[in-house]
Amino acid sequence: MEKFDLAVLGGGPGGYVAAIRASQLGYKTVVIDKSELGGICLNWGCIPTKALLKSAEYYDIVNKRAGEFGLSVEGVSFDFKKIIKRSRDVSKRVVKGVEYLMRKNNVKRVKGYGNFIDKNTLSITDADGNETEKISFDKVIIATGGRTKILPNIPVDREKIITSREAMSLEELPDELIIVGAGAIGVEFAYFYSVLGTKVTIIEMLDSLVPVEDREVSETLKKAFLKRGIKIHLSTLVKEAVVEGNRVKVTIEKNGEEEVLTADKVLSAIGVVGNIENFGLEKIGVKTERNSIVVDKETYATNVEGVYAVGDVIGPPWLAHVASHEAIHCVERMHGLDVQPIDYNSIPGCTYTIPQVASIGLTEEKAIEAGYELKIGRFPFSASGKATAIGEREGFVKLIYDAKYGELLGAHIVGAEATELIAELGVAKHLEGTFESLLKTVHAHPTLSESIMEAAGEAYGEAIHI
Amino acid sequence: MKEKILMPKMGESVMEGTLIKWHKKVGDKVAKDEIIFEISTDKVDTEVPSPVDGVLSEIFLNENETAEVGAVVATIEVDGTGTEEVEEASKEEAPEEKAEPSSDDDSDLVDVLMPKMGESVMEGTIIKWNKAVSEHIEKDEILFEISTDKVDTEVPAPVAGVVSEILFDENETVPVNTVVARISVSGKVHKKKVVEEEQKSAETEETVEIKSEVKDSVKPPTSSNRFYSPLVMNIANRENVPFEELEKIPGTGAKGRVTKKDILNYIKNRKAAPAVQQQSQTEFSFAGGTEVIPMDNIRKRIKEHMVRSRDTSVHVSEMIEVDMTKIYNFIAENKKRFLERENIKLTYMAFISSAVIKALKKYPLMNASIDGDNIVMKKFVNLGIAVAVEPNGLIVPNIKNADSMNIRGLAKAIQELSYKARNKKLSPDDVVGGTFSLTNYGVFGALFGTPIINQPELGILGIGAVVKRPVVIETPEGDVIGIKPMMMLSLSHDHRLVDGMLGGLFIKEVKDSLENFDVTSV
Repeated sequence: MEKFDLAVLGGGPGGYVAAIRASQLGYKTVVIDKSELGGICLNWGCIPTKALLKSAEYYDIVNKRAGEFGLSVEGVSFDFKKIIKRSRDVSKRVVKGVEYLMRKNNVKRVKGYGNFIDKNTLSITDADGNETEKISFDKVIIATGGRTKILPNIPVDREKIITSREAMSLEELPDELIIVGAGAIGVEFAYFYSVLGTKVTIIEMLDSLVPVEDREVSETLKKAFLKRGIKIHLSTLVKEAVVEGNRVKVTIEKNGEEEVLTADKVLSAIGVVGNIENFGLEKIGVKTERNSIVVDKETYATNVEGVYAVGDVIGPPWLAHVASHEAIHCVERMHGLDVQPIDYNSIPGCTYTIPQVASIGLTEEKAIEAGYELKIGRFPFSASGKATAIGEREGFVKLIYDAKYGELLGAHIVGAEATELIAELGVAKHLEGTFESLLKTVHAHPTLSESIMEAAGEAYGEAIHI
Repeated sequence: MKEKILMPKMGESVMEGTLIKWHKKVGDKVAKDEIIFEISTDKVDTEVPSPVDGVLSEIFLNENETAEVGAVVATIEVDGTGTEEVEEASKEEAPEEKAEPSSDDDSDLVDVLMPKMGESVMEGTIIKWNKAVSEHIEKDEILFEISTDKVDTEVPAPVAGVVSEILFDENETVPVNTVVARISVSGKVHKKKVVEEEQKSAETEETVEIKSEVKDSVKPPTSSNRFYSPLVMNIANRENVPFEELEKIPGTGAKGRVTKKDILNYIKNRKAAPAVQQQSQTEFSFAGGTEVIPMDNIRKRIKEHMVRSRDTSVHVSEMIEVDMTKIYNFIAENKKRFLERENIKLTYMAFISSAVIKALKKYPLMNASIDGDNIVMKKFVNLGIAVAVEPNGLIVPNIKNADSMNIRGLAKAIQELSYKARNKKLSPDDVVGGTFSLTNYGVFGALFGTPIINQPELGILGIGAVVKRPVVIETPEGDVIGIKPMMMLSLSHDHRLVDGMLGGLFIKEVKDSLENFDVTSV
């Protein structure tokens, strides 16, 4: 039985990052995953969907906006199978990159299902349940991730009622698609399929699209979606979804009234649950709560000594970048390094629709709820020279400051490259910058990022270009 | 138009320059970049060129005189008119000035700055103005007194003239190099009244300005090695946390950085404290006859230093009895001679200093300091001497390189330091860099003490009174009781680094040196 300093269960953005960092710090490390490395993120999430969305975006621009840029294009069409294939190829390529990183960092990679025998031993089995080996270790990080939450009234069959995983590898383009849940995953697929011609209907229980985002942002996205012909039902419950022949019948309830919708397929995108089952967690006595492992969010230690957990399995926010940072932090603390705990108020969130949505920190509503007096700065991309030049005048930057101390409480961007632009606000927040930090930083011209500087100025009446 | 020629700043720590030679005299034409005079500073000699074309019209500094950096040395009439005309012009101007107070000719005003009293001193509190507006002042006469982190000091006028403006009140704290007053060389009084009226008429504006001044007073982060985020600086400004206080807030962020949380917690606790005080005040007032007196700067600093020392060092104390017969007799016999011949007051302190230095050389760890997990050994002894300052202060200046001095040198140095300490003449350099200290509570008759270490030193020796006592003297003929001048020494040392054994050896070494003192060596 091979003995390791550290075993990492799960090879996603939490697990493989933990393994690399541990190895860098001199731990003999093994990472165990039943399938490809990279987890949902690289295989069935972040990366392949970005590939799909880029295809859709190019098609959308060429199809709808070529003339605007003085281009004459005729007979534009797409091959859905090729779009899907490109996405799968992109995924395979980045997964290979992770495999290389394991070799480079001398992390042992074990393919198989891990099962705790005790808190220092894992039994590894193949898909048929036969034990292939046993691994012993001093410490273990559980990074088993999460999966789509499934509700009994929307029984996923992966044929007609599908999850994001199926939605990114369909054989054929559906004519009609109902998406339940208007979080990042729901709206990204709504954009993708509507661009390709599918009639998309979104059903959201709460009263806005991307409900975690600032209301103004949600409204902007809603307008853009309505313009695309996407049907949106907000404050609407799904009573049940039933497969009837080739169709799925979805009964919804809005304002106390029931309505029946039908479509070729229904995509259930209502949330994530942690993967806490089927690997012997209960055997070693690790405490769980609401489908997540309970950890101390400074050390990521569970209640069992030597057992740690990071990523989706410890609960929201279910984001790859959070998992990776938790992983690094967990290993560094384990090693005794003096590191700062993760600031969960400064986690950027990105949604890759057109327009893109990105944010960090508090929304206006949440900031008011928290009792702050606010100073808000906005700058619309329509006032930006660069945005006009590249034909991206939709959207805005909105910065929310605490009026008392000038702290940047939140930043919200909707529009072109929002997901790239948000990084600057992360730095500003991390370094405890004020509006002056952004306003007095020289931003290159012409760039979209100037809009951030202008928004900071606008909050204090010092914007130049608005 | 007149162009002022200032004493140039020749380096970071150079605060004054001596004019060694004038190349031009009043009335001479000078071309731009032509050398007008030469100066000599602590570091270098240099030639000062004229910044403009013109005629040298006034000279304020003679050869071999020294002026502070920034002081006006000369003026050059740019229009090329000569001295006489200039003088006429200023005569003409003067009555006009009186007739029309709104005139704004400031050309004869010399700015008086808050002086920089040391490398890390970024602000000073004005504790007293010795002159009022419109009073005449001589060059080098004391204009005001300030108190800084390190020392209190008196600031002399850079030029003779009439105090024209006073820009800060007593007890205001001002960043260094801020103009605090203006002196009119020609004797004009600046119209303070007008200024006041303007201030009244624009009260809202005034509050805005004051706010921004407060901001500035917190701002200069150049003095510190710590980084403060813009947000932390904002909070400090907003909550009136002065820079020196900000410096003391422990940081929990990356590399000890003070985060938003740290300063907010600090402010919360700071706010909580006075509330408790208030409560106790009311309690006391029921008892009747209490009076609340705000601490002065010195007291506040002593308070902080004492608490910091107690929180930093692990104090342990050891006492030893010393037979001072030899030194007692030597002083009694030679006191007069030394005073008359060399103006040296022979005291026990000089002898004890000498013995301590010898012991420090033998046991250098006592002369070290602690830096994190490192021990900083010092190959020099800067011997601190605690000096009581009336009415209620205490300061510990140190004798630099005391290990290179003999008894006479030490006696002189002690005399000089205590004079400087009692007369506010200490420079910041005098109070930093100490390696070991002495405190003489024996002057009041006390025998024992448990002194508090002067940080970052590791030890302090308390000196008790020399008193005659009956003691057992061992003789070959048997033990007898005799009367001897005896003294108790109390050593406090920092147990983090200095253990009891070293403490014991050290104090024994001091005792032996004193008891076997070689009087011929003086």
